[in-house]
Amino acid sequence: MRSSTTGWLLLAPTIAVLVLTGVLPFLYVLAISFFDWNLFAVNPEPRWAAANNFRRLVHDAEFLKSIWLTLLFTLWVVASQVILGFALARLMMRDFPFKKVFRAVHTLPLMIAPIAVGATWRLMTVPGLGPIPYYLKDWFGIDYRLSMFPDQAFASVVVMDIWHWTPFVTLTILAGLSNLPQEPVEQARIDGAQEWQIFRDIVLPAMKPVLLTTIFIRIMDALRVVDEVWMLTQGGPGAETRFIGLHIWKIVFPKTDYGYGSAMSLLTLYMTIVICWLLYAAMTARKDRAS
Amino acid sequence: MFMRHLATSLVALAIASPAMADFWSDAAAPYQGVTIRGVSESTPPSNYVRDVLAPQFTEATGIQVEFETTSWDQMYDKAIKDMEAGSGIYDFVYIEQDAIYSYLSRDFLVDMTQMMADNPALVNPAFDWANFTTFIDYFKDPNKNDHVFGVPMEAFIKVYLYRKDLFENPEIQASFQEKYGYDLAPATTFQQWRDIAEFFTAYGQETGQELYGTTVQAASGHPASFYEFWESVAPLYGVYDWGINQETWTASVANGGRMNSPEAVEALTFWLGLLQYAPPEATASTWDEVASSFAAGRAAQGLVYGENATWIATNAEKSSVVGNVGVALPPTAEGVMEAAQSGEGYIGYYDGGAFGIPHSSANKEAALLFMQYIAQPELQAGWAEAGGRIVLNSTYEDPKVQEIDAKTDSYFTLMKDSGALFAGAPPYPFHNQVREVSAPFIYEAIIGNLTPQEALDQMAAATEAELKNLGYTAN
Repeated sequence: MRSSTTGWLLLAPTIAVLVLTGVLPFLYVLAISFFDWNLFAVNPEPRWAAANNFRRLVHDAEFLKSIWLTLLFTLWVVASQVILGFALARLMMRDFPFKKVFRAVHTLPLMIAPIAVGATWRLMTVPGLGPIPYYLKDWFGIDYRLSMFPDQAFASVVVMDIWHWTPFVTLTILAGLSNLPQEPVEQARIDGAQEWQIFRDIVLPAMKPVLLTTIFIRIMDALRVVDEVWMLTQGGPGAETRFIGLHIWKIVFPKTDYGYGSAMSLLTLYMTIVICWLLYAAMTARKDRAS
Repeated sequence: MFMRHLATSLVALAIASPAMADFWSDAAAPYQGVTIRGVSESTPPSNYVRDVLAPQFTEATGIQVEFETTSWDQMYDKAIKDMEAGSGIYDFVYIEQDAIYSYLSRDFLVDMTQMMADNPALVNPAFDWANFTTFIDYFKDPNKNDHVFGVPMEAFIKVYLYRKDLFENPEIQASFQEKYGYDLAPATTFQQWRDIAEFFTAYGQETGQELYGTTVQAASGHPASFYEFWESVAPLYGVYDWGINQETWTASVANGGRMNSPEAVEALTFWLGLLQYAPPEATASTWDEVASSFAAGRAAQGLVYGENATWIATNAEKSSVVGNVGVALPPTAEGVMEAAQSGEGYIGYYDGGAFGIPHSSANKEAALLFMQYIAQPELQAGWAEAGGRIVLNSTYEDPKVQEIDAKTDSYFTLMKDSGALFAGAPPYPFHNQVREVSAPFIYEAIIGNLTPQEALDQMAAATEAELKNLGYTAN
């Protein structure tokens, strides 16, 4: 009993912080989502709207488009980062010239704030100033204008995100690979297994917990991306890179539509939880069946 | 007796003179060590306040100034959040002319007229509301006896800039004459604007220069493009106030507005048509990038905010076209100039802003002193040079300003003489809300996803829906 009380007392500061910074804001947003509330309306007071904000979402073409773009973006960046990150981590398990230099340079983007990453890429891609449009035009005759061509803009934010976050995936997987017991791998080699078979049947299953964690983190990050995309494209051209985070920001701040923006935020949170849960279920299903 | 009176007067004068000369330190004495915080957009006029005027004020008063200059959207975001939450982070905020109506509707700001009347000890004896240009009228509340809620700190017009070195080159003139059959000169019609744009784009290609026909502020994901169209281009075609009918709060022609009127469609078609003659960065350009493009010598003409006109014309460290900048009024459709002269219309945007004190400020008195300090006539000339802005009538007469005026092809004279032809944004408390639902249609038109007619039809419908949401029209 006494040790239980002491435990709760020790946990109390953390719980208090979590309640203040997590639970209460969540409840506040939840409450607002049931109101119509715009500071600059004729009536600036919150007005009860029941579930109207959530009903609006289902018919809101801009919102649905931003959800679709966000999912597409997430799929591209997470898949690319995991594949690239795994490959680079495997590479770094080996010795090669200038390995330490490569590892340091490769990790650099991770240390840069997203807003600075966006600014850097913007400087590199602005026509008339940036080297990327200049050389693409000069060498390949490609008219590269993010602000004009939606496909280029989308591809550019995907590449930027891959550039920024692949090192994180690499380092996480590298840590996992470094801690793998070598005995099963060596045993498999003695038994005449090919490298591909070792990777598929030993390394990959053993890495599943690390991969799962990494993928979850990256999915959650990708679903809420805002700052670097804002700096690079501002959601444009048109609304072609207006991912859900940016869309919510525009609804809540410049447009001051707090009720509707809150409903969007909640739906996005729900979507994130569902996606992660589905992924978790899919990745652990085979193990459950096997056991 | 006379000698005694004289002696008394001299003594009184001796006592009074230092007090007058040292008004700032005396008035600020109770606020020594106080720090006032402000927020504004990072623009040439605001940066001058941060770098030059704020340190001078601190030296004169002992009041510290922390002045944050940030991006345009962050500036709004921070100021509105602070004032709405009443957190008191900022003691003065930048109020863009188009935002004052929203702020007044929410009662965010201190009534400065009243505050000065209530605190005579804080009023600089030399401060004179009457010396402000008519731009101050935008910051008066007609519902409160025209009391002032912001001290103007910048005001400028969006003018038509052109490259004099190109326009006055005899070979170019002859070539233009031969191709179009009339003399090369600053455009007075839209056809001329387009011809000039086409000519110089071709000229740039022929001579291997990075030169294009015109600037276009057509950022395809930023409200700057919305502003250029509705505040600078549509008025040239006689479509004012974003095409919204202020009696019925409607936008579509069918409901009494002009947002999708034939004139608006013609204006949008013309403006989008200029993109083919604009530098490739045009679709990524806000007001800042337009100024940079012109300063880099990449455009032969274009609409440029006046806050940038002076540095483009005079600052050789930042501009490659110093000495070659011409200034003129933009072209107008038939009848628009007459409408502007009679006060029934306008030909472009009179931009600017003021500093106001939020109710939530804990240092209102110190902030009031700061605003009066930076409004002193003797500080205005340097500020005008740095930021192309004038808010006091007396500034026009300042020899230094007249000197700059000569270097900028009489930009200040144009502003003084023709400023009345320009107008600020319409008095909409829902400014940001309608802009946010309307601007995406401009973006879609820029990238070719919508025709001008489709964009304006959909914009008008979205605007009316938003006005209904906000309670301006019945559900």
